[in-house]
Amino acid sequence: MPEIVLENLVKEYSGGIRASDELSLTIHDGEYLCLLGPTGAGKTTALRMICGLTAPDSGRVLFDGQDLAGIPISERRATMLSQSYALFPNMDVYHNVVFSPVIKRWSEEDTKQLARSMIDMVHMGKKVKNYPRELSGGQQQRTALARAMASDSKVLLLDEPLRALDARLRIELRKELKSMVKEMGLTSVHVTHDQDEAMEVADRIAIIRHGRIIQVGTPKEIFQNPATPFVANFLGRSNIFAGKFVGNDAGHSVIELRDGIRVKARPADLEPGQEAVVAVKVGSTVPELVGGVKDVQDSHLPDTLPDGYFTGNVERVLYEGSTITIETNVKGLGIVSAQRSSRRFEYYKPGSRVIVTWQPAKASVFPMPESGLAQEMRLD
Amino acid sequence: MRFGDFYAVHDISLTVAEGEYVTILGPSGCGKTTLIKLISGIWHPTEGRVLVDGNDVTDVPLEDRDIGYVFQNIALFPNLDNLENVEYGPRVRAQPLTDQQTTAEEYLTLVSMLDRAGMFPSELSGGEQQKVAIARALASGSKTLMLDEPLSALDARVRMELRYEIRRIVKELGITVLHVTHDQEEAMSVSDRIVLMRAGAIHDTGNPMEMYRDPQSIFAAFFIGETNLLEGYVSGYTKNGRTKVRLRTGYTVRGEKTAFALGDAVIISVRPENVYTADDGLRAKVVSVVFMGTYWRVRTLADTGDYVEYNVSDNHVPPAPGEPVMLVFNKRMTKIFGRPKEGLEGAISLE
Repeated sequence: MPEIVLENLVKEYSGGIRASDELSLTIHDGEYLCLLGPTGAGKTTALRMICGLTAPDSGRVLFDGQDLAGIPISERRATMLSQSYALFPNMDVYHNVVFSPVIKRWSEEDTKQLARSMIDMVHMGKKVKNYPRELSGGQQQRTALARAMASDSKVLLLDEPLRALDARLRIELRKELKSMVKEMGLTSVHVTHDQDEAMEVADRIAIIRHGRIIQVGTPKEIFQNPATPFVANFLGRSNIFAGKFVGNDAGHSVIELRDGIRVKARPADLEPGQEAVVAVKVGSTVPELVGGVKDVQDSHLPDTLPDGYFTGNVERVLYEGSTITIETNVKGLGIVSAQRSSRRFEYYKPGSRVIVTWQPAKASVFPMPESGLAQEMRLD
Repeated sequence: MRFGDFYAVHDISLTVAEGEYVTILGPSGCGKTTLIKLISGIWHPTEGRVLVDGNDVTDVPLEDRDIGYVFQNIALFPNLDNLENVEYGPRVRAQPLTDQQTTAEEYLTLVSMLDRAGMFPSELSGGEQQKVAIARALASGSKTLMLDEPLSALDARVRMELRYEIRRIVKELGITVLHVTHDQEEAMSVSDRIVLMRAGAIHDTGNPMEMYRDPQSIFAAFFIGETNLLEGYVSGYTKNGRTKVRLRTGYTVRGEKTAFALGDAVIISVRPENVYTADDGLRAKVVSVVFMGTYWRVRTLADTGDYVEYNVSDNHVPPAPGEPVMLVFNKRMTKIFGRPKEGLEGAISLE
């Protein structure tokens, strides 16, 4: 329920590792914010500083404008579900979940009702009388999640709350988690490295890397308008091309890749001749069969797709269920991936000649990062 | 395989072709790890045989089976550098020293890790360590590779990159692979064939496209990919022989051709990408709209009381929560199953 402000938080561990490097972030009242980033980015450290388990070397944590320095964990009304959650081994699932309401002497009826809704949410209705040792890792994690939710806090801090669960159950549970948290009006920070999970549950996503927040926005803003090449490839896979900025034209920019290949992207504030990086999501990359019928995927759009930018040979077509991934080998550029509806599975064959295109509005341009492209694109 | 009175896997018959990439997919506790341990010889089955190239290896000890193994928890030797880790296999096979190094370098090249040959495992990221572990498993020259949740401990984004890489490597070498996973996306994108397990038995098997387009059970339809499930009764047949199903409110949909009799209780399964909006159709109200990248996922509550989800391209404006919509299903992509005795909930239970 409170608004949380993190101001220039710095935390350095022994060995000179900066887990938090001038980290600043505002989480609105009642917001569900996902902190998304690769391993070692400083996600857990940020959560620990919010709830008071770790003190920052410098910087401030504020709840509704109040500086929390010196305020003990017990008075912050923030519950953290850590990755190393521990259930009470001598209590069954039900009593673990109602631990906090019982301590706080809630009425029996309120306690029961709360417990039932939390236990239902995590699909543990059949296991209420089981003890932690009788549960699988995933079931223990779900019980711990229910216990954290039932703790009557104002702030919920979740460190990879679904990590121990099977992929299928994770998908089921994340929908329910979001709606339950919103219903309770909690301010929540949910740490994850899973971009699908973040997209589905978050009001806003904060992308964290090397202890710094590099972009904050709604899933749509970050997906469609990434701040850096890393973000472009981290939230939804992207094809990344290095080239030289040519200039802006009517409603789009032009970038020259190797071998005189010119591609279009959104207009950008770069100098002609400047080293640039183009990022286009695999789902927006369209390989059209050379000599085939004009692609119809985007026929409903006011303007049709531009003529293709470069040609290549399809190397592999991977069936993924609702989608397929087409990998095209392009001379001078390497493998270019495209993700399309699986209805087109029979349309592409290894060896098919294709010409690759995309809508300029779906491609981002960045100045070449100083650290170099390979370093910028590292996922871990 | 029996533990006391509990059968971890029961009456399993499976043939894997040479050079085939098979994933064993299923929820926690379905017996998939038990199965792979029986095949590799880590455990001995209570009953049944394991044959490799026609030879019964059931009683052949693990170390003589010529199988490479990669676990979820990366198990490299921390005191050896990456090259030495990969040399381990050739060394225990008593290859000459120079060959050991050549072999190890070959496999490190294959996993694009040769430039880190002199580094120690602790200097690598999780994804890189797992690549070295795969190189080590392959360097012993095994023609069969067991992958037991090899990507589970890695970040989602790294996992996605690595799964394509693993498939490329083993296909280049022509190796037979058994890969255990609980992640249906992973199974879909790497396998030649998926073996779906549930409660200690093989539930369904097929190539990824068959499993997705034409699942043979409600559980398979639900577990692999996403699907909308609605209850109804067979109410007739079209001229083309398609089955008509009457849903709870009386709204009738058409689906695949089936042998169900008039009045049979059935469940229809239709995937979100096969649901569209139209001027007339199943009435529903939008519950939530979530941006998924290249599309919006719209969740609706239909008049029938069922939740029905569909996709809207990111080039379109999605409806707002609360808005009424009319839904139609692609009849060619609407599967029909008999209503199970254990009920729909039981049929899709993950426990």
